Order: sequence, then structure tokens, then C-alpha cells
Amino acid sequence: MAKIILNNQEVETREGIPVLQAALEAGLNVPHYCYHPGLSVVASCRLCLMEMKMPHPKTGELGWAPKLMPSCQTPVRDGMEVRFDSDKVHENQERCMEFFLLNHPLDCPVCDQAGECHLQDYSYHFGKSESRMVDQKHVTPKKDVGPRTLLYSDRCVMCSRCVRFCDEVAGTGELCITNRGSKAEIDAFPGKPLDNPMQGNVVDICPVGCLLDKDFLFQQRVWFLKSADSICTGCSTGCSIRIDQNEDHVHRLKPRFNPRVNQWWMCDEGRFGFKYIHDKNRLTRLRLRRGESFESFRWESLAETVRYRFENIAKKQSDKKIAVVLSPFLACEEAWLLVKTIREIAPNATLILGPVPTVEQDERFPVGATNGDTKFIIRKEKCPNRNGIELIIKHFGGNTETFDAFVEQASAGEYAAAWISGGYPTEWVSKDFAKAAGKIPFKVVHDLFGSALTDEATLVVPACSFAERDGTFVNATGVVQPFARAIKPPQGCKRDGQFFYELAELEGLYQSPTVLGMMAAEIDEFKEVYVPPQLPEHQH
Amino acid sequence: MSEYEKVLLKNVGKPNSRQLATYVEGGGYSGAKRALEQTPDDVIDVVKRANLRGRGGAGFPAGVKWSFLPKDREVTYLCVNADESEPPTFSNRVLMEEDPHQLLEGILIAGYATQATVAYLYMRAEFTEQYHIMQVALDEAYNAGYFGKNIQGSGYNLECYIHRGAGAYVCGEETGLIESLEGKRGWPRIKPPFPAIQGAFGKPTVVNNVETLANLPHIINRGADWFLGIGPEGSSGPKLFCISGAVKKPGCYEGAMDFSVRELIESDRFGGGMRNGLKVKAVMPGGISMGILTADELDMKMDFSDPAKYGLLGLGTASAIVIDDRTDIRKVLRNVARFFAHESCGQCTQCREGTSWMYKMTNRVERGLGRLQDIELLGEIPAKMGMMPGLSICGLSDGAAFAIRTIVEKFRSELEDYVRSENDDAVRIALEIAN
Amino acid sequence: MAWKAIDRVNAPTEESPSLSEPLKEKIRGFFDRYPTKRAVLIPALHMIQDDHGYVGWKAMEEVAELLEITPSDVFDTVSFYSHFWTHPKGEKVVMACRSISCDLLGADRVLDECKKVLGIGDHETTPDGKYSLMTEECLAACDHGPCLMINEKMHKCVDPANVRKILEDDANDKLDIPRSNLYDGANRTSA
Ligand SMILES: Cc1cc2nc3c(=O)[nH]c(=O)nc-3n(C[C@H](O)[C@H](O)[C@H](O)COP(=O)(O)O)c2cc1C
Ligand code: SF4
Ligand code: SF4
Ligand code: SF4
Ligand code: FES
Ligand code: FES
Repeated sequence: MAKIILNNQEVETREGIPVLQAALEAGLNVPHYCYHPGLSVVASCRLCLMEMKMPHPKTGELGWAPKLMPSCQTPVRDGMEVRFDSDKVHENQERCMEFFLLNHPLDCPVCDQAGECHLQDYSYHFGKSESRMVDQKHVTPKKDVGPRTLLYSDRCVMCSRCVRFCDEVAGTGELCITNRGSKAEIDAFPGKPLDNPMQGNVVDICPVGCLLDKDFLFQQRVWFLKSADSICTGCSTGCSIRIDQNEDHVHRLKPRFNPRVNQWWMCDEGRFGFKYIHDKNRLTRLRLRRGESFESFRWESLAETVRYRFENIAKKQSDKKIAVVLSPFLACEEAWLLVKTIREIAPNATLILGPVPTVEQDERFPVGATNGDTKFIIRKEKCPNRNGIELIIKHFGGNTETFDAFVEQASAGEYAAAWISGGYPTEWVSKDFAKAAGKIPFKVVHDLFGSALTDEATLVVPACSFAERDGTFVNATGVVQPFARAIKPPQGCKRDGQFFYELAELEGLYQSPTVLGMMAAEIDEFKEVYVPPQLPEHQH
Repeated sequence: MSEYEKVLLKNVGKPNSRQLATYVEGGGYSGAKRALEQTPDDVIDVVKRANLRGRGGAGFPAGVKWSFLPKDREVTYLCVNADESEPPTFSNRVLMEEDPHQLLEGILIAGYATQATVAYLYMRAEFTEQYHIMQVALDEAYNAGYFGKNIQGSGYNLECYIHRGAGAYVCGEETGLIESLEGKRGWPRIKPPFPAIQGAFGKPTVVNNVETLANLPHIINRGADWFLGIGPEGSSGPKLFCISGAVKKPGCYEGAMDFSVRELIESDRFGGGMRNGLKVKAVMPGGISMGILTADELDMKMDFSDPAKYGLLGLGTASAIVIDDRTDIRKVLRNVARFFAHESCGQCTQCREGTSWMYKMTNRVERGLGRLQDIELLGEIPAKMGMMPGLSICGLSDGAAFAIRTIVEKFRSELEDYVRSENDDAVRIALEIAN
Repeated sequence: MAWKAIDRVNAPTEESPSLSEPLKEKIRGFFDRYPTKRAVLIPALHMIQDDHGYVGWKAMEEVAELLEITPSDVFDTVSFYSHFWTHPKGEKVVMACRSISCDLLGADRVLDECKKVLGIGDHETTPDGKYSLMTEECLAACDHGPCLMINEKMHKCVDPANVRKILEDDANDKLDIPRSNLYDGANRTSA
């Protein structure tokens, strides 16, 4: 802890952090470009300068130093006094903004960044209204720097954040600076484009509209977007994200700061892996088998029917087992409600963790990092909640099986009924599994997409994607994190939490915090939910 | 101006002055041998007492700089700054061309004092002939046991390598030099950490100018008091001065820092007076970065303290360009602005954008398309750039600021006259066409 | 793509020379001078430019591999320094000083004369591949301005009237002093 005087007010902060960081955390809007808390300090944009009190070199008396100091490069020391509200500081900011705009094409009307651009913002807050340069502007070429990313050099403020990201976080170093002086540009070596698994972050950290996501290009003006705080379901890292949507269409995912999980970053796999939620082939109809074919079914009858059928089977076929297959894509609340319901009806029901999609190994960043210097991990488990589901299975205890054993037992005809939750974004039903499932007379298949399994189902319950749901995931390191819903489920679907709630015969609307409270009363791990701190308003 | 016996340039003109044998015959390497017999701290001490101020431009005392090195270091690098790119400076060139072993001896002494393990002599790429001269001399010195292992039986080891630059003024800035040495673009580093703590390859490093080091053999041989006895207090010791432009005898001369710019121009020992009856219009006495003097300011002393009284940044490289009265000041202004725009490394906003904007304006002003507002801006922009007011990472932008600001301030009426005489419409139309 | 953009996704199509084994060996010879391999980059680029005449894409990639850095690191460094050419240049480079002393002594007339005699502009190369022309800031020979440097050789106090003679002299880039071959490319292809 350290106390400093900031603009004449005492502020509590932490010893050694950059003064700029302390000022932002104190709510000040200090303009800055090159500083990013996740990258090394270069202090080159010279926008964050402040005044600082220092002892006079001769008299030793404390007074405002004649020099401005870069606040990003100056560490907090207990008792120091600094200010950002002086004329001198403002004058520098104003001049910097004039400089940044000298060669800028001022093409905001066609720029994707417009609305979230720190050139626009800052020049409005800190700049002058017009440029005093009458001479010709430099024109710098646009560059196709990578398969997903465009570089619109004209708009670059040379903060070097993107270059440092590739060097320091991704560890792939594709981007570089070329030339010098006012001719300096960001560039990539031809044939070695910006193409690392984390490259999308450069678009986020670019403070202006220079680096652009081809995927998002000209799609939406950002001021039409509404967002929700969610968790990426791409792997068990569980990055905090923001879902940006308009009219129930998701346009992009952005990382949210989370000091315990993903810091400021997310990977491309997660970032661009959401497209399936708008796939036309999603299941959107609740269907009941009638002989060889299906007929539509009413959501209102779902709870009653399911309970009745499971109750019946539990009573009448006590020599056979009942299975509940819990997908690692389910939220903890959803899984808890489901298990609670089925176990009430059939106390011996077997709990099974669904398949965990896994690739060979984790990917660590910077590339080549070992334990100590790892800044980011894309995990090999390509689902968000294995840990959460395992917690719940462990809590309920009783009969449990591995998925493989379940498949074997099912092929041997040991099961009379099953609830199978899927919700995987990609194909997950193996031939063996589909065949085994065929041996289970009554099965509810709860999934996003049709498959050999849904073809076999007695009841097909369309699932919702993560963007349409809310609840809690437990990530690979055991952090319990809530996620919020961003959009309405597609026509015909019902939010999973809601029908699980109804299935559990609870009254009213499903609210994930209520269910979480109920869980926490039983399971210690859910007592502590981690919500990352908000970034200071003016940090970017 | 006192009597002066040459020290640094005493071997100039001697036959075979580049050869080791000639150098040794004249007493060469005796200073180094003497140093090797003392402790490194003794050597630092005498250099400190002599108050040898850096000749590279900033004038920082070499002995003091060395004593910033951390005590418990294992590796130390010595970087010899031979990037000499400040127009119109060429004294390092003369030292290397004429007396390479004097520099090598200085390197050995500084290396020993700082307990350097490797010395890198960073030479600008355009020093081609000088490179060969230095490398041949270095090979000779190695063979004679002045470099390498167990130098002259002292147990001290020092490797010395010549590292050639590749054309960038900013690599003369000490941390730009270090980055360049590491194989990177020469972007000066933010300080702290200072090179003495964390310099080349992350290790304690000392950067010294060629001329600074060339003084060392003489200080060791003749003592601190001898050195202090030359020139005024605070500006002691032998010094090289360059003069070029409209004088009869452009060249590199040696003297004490005890004479004025006027004497530098007029004296037969130096410039020998103006060429072809021309008159002085202006002088940039310390390299262009230091700023300009008018013909009325020639009494400025060529020492470390006087330039500030004339609004200049400092003594700089003590290299004067004498501008005659037939010269259009706009040409000078544009030339200087172009230099800084071309050489700005591009990290700091104010320097990157400011220098290129100023160049665009001065270019236009020279072509007769200036506006009064341009002159205003050319006064205003430099006032708000540079490391001294805290607005940039290195001193290049201070140089740009002083050069341009002093020209605009001191020659404002001339510039305004030019601009006023121009037809506003012509300017406007030209600008429209250009855009 | 809807707009024109420089392509960095695909490898360059133009051919450029590779590093020969002797050249690589020469570069490796510098490894023990520095604590990092990257520090060998600038010496290596000198040797490459000496050998190939310029530093092409392929050379950048290969030297990156040799020094265990990324090609973009090399591109970054190469482009920063005015000495390196990234496209083929002439056998001889004429470097005209344009800084203050030379300028005031008539550097622009010398440059104009060079352009006229060679028939090329700044950073251009004569069709016969013999000469390239460029301007440089102060060459540290201001006492003898205007200066022209042709490869290694400095021409001082150049009178525009003599430019043609200088450029016609075959030995105008030769130094007549004892020299070190340390930095020279391995198999100099240029004369
Ligand atoms: C832009 C810039 C260029 C410089 N160029 C040189 C140079 O070419 N040679 C030099 O010795 N010092 C140069 N310096 C000064 C160096 O940073 C440094 O102060 C000097 O090498 C230290 O040596 P000294 O203490 O022996 O003078 C330059 C400084 C700046 C800011
Ligand atoms: S592209 Fe963006 S992030 Fe990269 S240097 Fe330019 S402004 Fe900064
Ligand atoms: S690391 Fe995993 S959780 Fe994070 S963005 Fe990538 S896929 Fe999503
Ligand atoms: S002041 Fe200029 S030259 Fe120095 S670091 Fe900043 S931009 Fe580069
Ligand atoms: S200099 Fe501090 S944010 Fe750029
Ligand atoms: S100005 Fe031309 S060599 Fe210095």
C-alpha cells in the first residue's frame, strides 16, 4: 500500500505500480496509447505525461519539477505528489493530439473503430478542433498483414502495442516496425504473416482503427452493439469475454480483463469459434417420437412427461439402470437441477460425465514458454465445465460411471432410460455411442445439432448455445465463474436453465444466482464465485 | 587565447603515424602500461580529478560516469562511440585516421579502469577508410599484446571489436548505439535503467566518445593537474574544434577551451578568416544541434558554460559551420529541418511528427510559399519538444528544437520579410495544387 | 479484397539470392564476438550486401534462421538503416552528402550533375547496373565539402565540373591503403 497525492487529493494505491495505472484506477481519464498493463513499458507516445514534485537539486526543497514525466514509466512511491490537471499537462496532451492527427486521413465515417476509437475520443477530450498543417499528408499503404487481419497504416499512432504483443505475449513476433521517423510503419515479413493463435488481440489493443478484424470489417457500427459478460466455452481455460450483439445476432467476442484467468487476452479459436450459434441447422423444435417419426411437442408438457416417464421406468424396471449423461458444456446450475430432479425420481440413476473433447496438448504462450513465464494457455480440453460437472457428480455421489463404461453397458442393454445432454458445438456422437444408445428404450436427447443420436431419441430437446444461457462454469484451475446471457434463444428453443427449473418443479423464472445460492448451501466450492474486477473506465 | 602545444593531434603529419612502431617511438602505450600498474580505482580517481568531461556532446565527466558501475558486476562492456554523424563534425574521423593507436590506448585505459571485458568500437558505416585504418591498427595492437589475454603481463583481459553501423544518426545516442550493437533498430531506450547499470546485453556498460578516450593516455602520463591547467575551470584539457563553411582554412584544430567563436573564425591558428571577403552572417558553433549564433554573438567562448548564455544547448561537438552573408537563411533552416526529420528515429510522437511537419513547412518557406503562420509554428513547435522538458526519450529532439528555434528566433525578421513579400494567393493556390 | 493492400500473406514472388555456405561461415565467424547471436545481424547484413549487392527477402529469411531470430526482426533492422538496400543496386553507390556544410558549398549542384551524368534520380540505378545514386546526411568530412562517396572512397571538395571525370574513372571507388577483409562478403560477386 502506498498513499500518493494525485491532483491535490490523497489516493491509496500500490507501491511500485505505474503512476498512470494508479491514476486510471482512481478514475482519472489520462490519455495514453503506448502503455498497456500487459506489455512492457516503452513510454514513447508521450501522451501520459504528468507533473511531479521533486526535491530541488540545490536547495532540496520539494517543488514541481520543471520537466514533465511519463506517468507510465514512473513507479508509485509512497508520499509522492503528482498532477495531471495543470496547464502544462493539458498543453502537452493537446499538442500530441494535433500531432497524431497530422497525417491521419480523418475517415471516421468509414472506419470500423469509430465509436470506440481513442483517437476520436482523445482528440475530442484533449485536442484542438483543427489541424494547423496545410501541407500534404503522408499516405501510407494498407497492408494485408494476416489471414484475419488488415492494417490500415494511415491510422497508426505508432504505439507499438501490436508489435510488443506478438513479441511478448504470443511469442511469435510476426509484426515489426519498418523504416524510421515519420516514415515508420508497422509491417510483417512477406509470407510470414500475422497468423498466431492469439493474433486477434492485436485488434483489441490497437487504440485506433489501424488493425482491423476482417471478420468484423464493415459489419456493424459499434454503437449499435449491446454486450453481455460471458465466458468463452472454447476450452477449459474459461476466458472472460464480452459478447457483442445486435438484434440477437452475435457479431463478435472480445476478451474481458480477468487477472486470475486470461488477463486481457483470448485466443482466436475462442474468438472466432462462435459462428455455430447462428447455424441454420440448429435444433429448434421440441420433438417426441411417434413410431418411426417425430411430432412437435409442447414445452408446457415437457416437465410432466419427462418426470412421469422416468418415474414409471424407475418403478417398473428396477432391474435396469437409468443414466444421466452430463455434458461438460452444461452450466453447473443446469447440471445440478437436472441431477437433482432425476435423482429425486430415480435415486439410483447413474451419473455420467459426457465425453470431454480433448486435443493432444495445451498450447502455452509466449510460444516456448515453460511454467514460470507462461502468460496464457489454450487448454487441450475443448469444453468449459468439466471441473464443474465433476464437482456436481461428486456431490451427488451414488452410482457413477465413466462415459466409456456407460457406452459398453448400454450396448449390453443395461439401461432402460437415459437423459443425454450434448450441447457440443461440433460433432460428438461416435458410431459406437449411437449404436449403444439404440439399445436404450427411452432416451431424452438434449442437444444443439441433429445427429445419429437424435435420430434414435425418444424425445429431442433443443439446447441453447452459451450466448443464450447463463450460469456458472468452473475452469481448469478451479475458478468458479458466472456468465450472462447475451441473446434470446432462437425461435422454438427454450433456455435450458428454465426448463431444468421447471423440471425440478421450482416456481417462477429461472435465475442462475438463485440456483447458485441453493447449490452453495450444499457444495462448498460454489460459495465463492469469482467475478473479475472491472477495468478502470479509462483504461484500454 | 593562450599558447598551446598540441597533444591530441601531435602525431598528425608524422610519417607513418598510423603504425604502432611510430606511435610507440613517440612514447605511445606508456600511459596504458602505467595504468595497468595501478588499481582500476586509482585510474578512475585521476580521471575524476582531471574532470575530463565527455567530448561526445553532453560533457558529462567520464570518471564520474565510470563510478556509477555497480560494484559487484561480473561483465562490463565498453562502447566506444565513433558514430560521429552530427553535421558538421569530423574530429573523431581525424583522430582515427591520423593516430589510431592513441584511441586504442585510450580504449585500453578506459577498459582497464572500468574492468571491461569487451570493448566495442561502434563506427558509422561511412567511415570506410577509417575502418580499415582502425582494424589494421587493432590487429597490430593485438599482436603486440595490447589487447587480448593477460595484457602486458598484467593479468587483465580485454577483447576489442569494431562494430560498423549502417547509417543512422540516432545510433550516436548512447542507448541507440547499444540497441544497434545488439542488432536492433537504433531506438534509444528509456532511462532508467541507465547503461552503467543495465546497458549492452543487459549488462553494465560505459559509452564514451572517441575524443574523450584519446585524452586518457595523456592524463595518465601527465597527471590530473596538468590537465586542469589547460583552459578555464570546468572546461579543462585539450579539445578538438572543427570549422567548416565560408572560412579560408576549414579543418580540425586543437586548442584549450579559452577562445571565442570570433577567434575560431579569424585566427590563423584556426579558420584563418573569411573566404573571399565574405562576412559572417551566422555560426552554428557546436554542431547543428546546439543552435545558431548571429554575427553579433561571436564573442561566445568555445567552452562548456558560455553557449547557454547565448541560448544554445551547449558546446556540443565544438564544430562550427560558418554561414556567410550571401546565404539565404531559409536554406539553412530547411537543411537543418530536413536533417532532423530524416534522422528522427520515430518513437516519440513530438519528435516524429514535429520534425517532419517542420521540414514540410521549411521546405515550403524556402520555395517562397511560406506564410506568417508557418514562422509562428516553427517557433512554437520546437519550444515544445525535447528530452529536457520531458517530452521525449532522447536528446535528438532537443537538438532539433534548439537548431530550429534559435534560427527562427534570431532570424525572425528576415524570415518574416521573405514571407511577407510573397503573394498570399500564390501560396494558397500552390497549397491547393499540392494537396 | 475490396481495397488495394500490400500483400504480406503470400511469400514474395521475385527471386533473390541465397546465402552461400562460405558466407554463412563468415557470418558464424562473428558469433564469438558478441554474447547474443542477434548482435551479429548488422555485421552479417554488411557482408550480405557486400556479397549480393543488396539484402533481399531470401537473404533476410536465411540470416534470421542463422541468427535464430524471426525474419520480421531482420526486416525491422534492415529497413531502419539507410545503408542497406532491399532491392538490387548498382555495382557502385554514389552517396552525395547533403548536410549543411556541403549544402552551403554547393552540394545540390554536385548532386544535379551526378543525376545528369548518370541519368538517374535518388535511389535509382543506371540501366547497365553500374551506378546507384543516393543522398546521405553529413559524411564527417565537412572541411572538404562538397563530398561524394563512391562505395568506400571519399571524394572531397568536388567541383560540379569534375563530376563526369570522377564518375568515368574506373578506380573511383578503390582505397589505396592496407585493408582488413573482416567485413567483406565471402565471395564478392561485384568487382
Ligand atoms: C542524437 C544524438 C546523437 C549523438 N551522437 C553522438 C556521436 O555521434 N558521437 C558521440 O560520441 N556521442 C554522440 N552523442 C552523445 C552520446 O549520447 C553520449 O553522450 C556520448 O557518446 C557519451 O560519451 P562521452 O561522455 O565520452 O562524451 C549523441 C547524442 C544524441 C542525443
Ligand atoms: S497498428 Fe495499432 S497497435 Fe500497432 S502501432 Fe499502430 S496504432 Fe499501435
Ligand atoms: S483459451 Fe480457451 S477459453 Fe480462452 S479464448 Fe481460447 S478457447 Fe476460449
Ligand atoms: S527524441 Fe526523437 S530520436 Fe530520440 S527517441 Fe524520441 S523519436 Fe527517437
Ligand atoms: S508515454 Fe506513457 S502511455 Fe505512452
Ligand atoms: S556536411 Fe557534408 S560531410 Fe559534413
